[in-house]
Amino acid sequence: MHFSEDDLRQALKRKDPGSGFTQRVMARMEQAKTEDAAAMKGKPAPSAKKSNGFFAWWQLRPAWIVAVTAVLLLGFGWAGYQYAEYRHQKQAAITAAIHEKELQEAERARDQAILALQIARSKLNHVLQQTQLPADGNDKIRRQRL
Amino acid sequence: MEHVAGVEDDRLKLALTRSAQGDSLAFAELVQEHQGMVFSIAYHFLRDRALAEDLAQEVFLELHQGLDRIESPAHLTYWLRRVTANRCIDQGRRKLRRRELALEDAPEPTAPSQPADPLLLERLQQSLAVLPEKQRLMLILRFQEGLGPAEIADVLEMPVNTVKSTLHRSLADLRKGLTRKIREVRYAFF
Repeated sequence: MHFSEDDLRQALKRKDPGSGFTQRVMARMEQAKTEDAAAMKGKPAPSAKKSNGFFAWWQLRPAWIVAVTAVLLLGFGWAGYQYAEYRHQKQAAITAAIHEKELQEAERARDQAILALQIARSKLNHVLQQTQLPADGNDKIRRQRL
Repeated sequence: MEHVAGVEDDRLKLALTRSAQGDSLAFAELVQEHQGMVFSIAYHFLRDRALAEDLAQEVFLELHQGLDRIESPAHLTYWLRRVTANRCIDQGRRKLRRRELALEDAPEPTAPSQPADPLLLERLQQSLAVLPEKQRLMLILRFQEGLGPAEIADVLEMPVNTVKSTLHRSLADLRKGLTRKIREVRYAFF
């Protein structure tokens, strides 16, 4: 079956929406204006009421995802910082304890060394005194003393 | 003729300016001027008078909200075609009942008709209704509005070559569909 482009133009020629179309558009416009004014005063428009049901929060899911991700990131960041701080303090305490112990041991070793030197000095003094005794004395007695 | 077109353009420009300033009468003039175009695109696409009128009203409401963005009468026509086309596609997707059913319910012609026969026109409209959305819209813009492929491509945001090939395929599909329908009628009749 053949048809020409003119037939197609004829089939698709403009239709009249009927009388009163403009008036109906203007009426709807006025109604929309009234609804907008009501919404501005704080009253929810009927159409808005329909869309904002119990699951209205789900419509904002990208915002929720961003918010939850931000909270989780902040939480994990804070927890990580706290843990690193705790580890640092613990390490510092251990280092300080080791240092203290080493210091005490060094002091003890120094005291022992001083004591040993004092003993050695007193022994040497005693030997020196014995060697400086007068020569006219009894050699026998001197030997016994030594 | 050019003088008349210029006067018409000035009148629409004035109406556009006054509408943007809140003049309801000027806006009504714009509606009056473009209602045929908007309603017809919607009607030929949806094949439902009530739905088409509702859609056309919504297009004009959207226009009223965005009047300050319209720069000229030509821009207004382009904007109306584009918004109507987009809304038609949205509406077509929402519509559960497809036009195929209406085509089956339509009365059958008793014999092949001569060109320009009202029955042929009716058949053409019915065959158009079963074409895919984009093809239907392209044919409406091409043969109702008389737009060229470049203008259609602009309105539907598609490459020009795609529009050209789709138009060609749509006409072929339309011819094929019409021939098949007439054959079915002949078999039923004899």
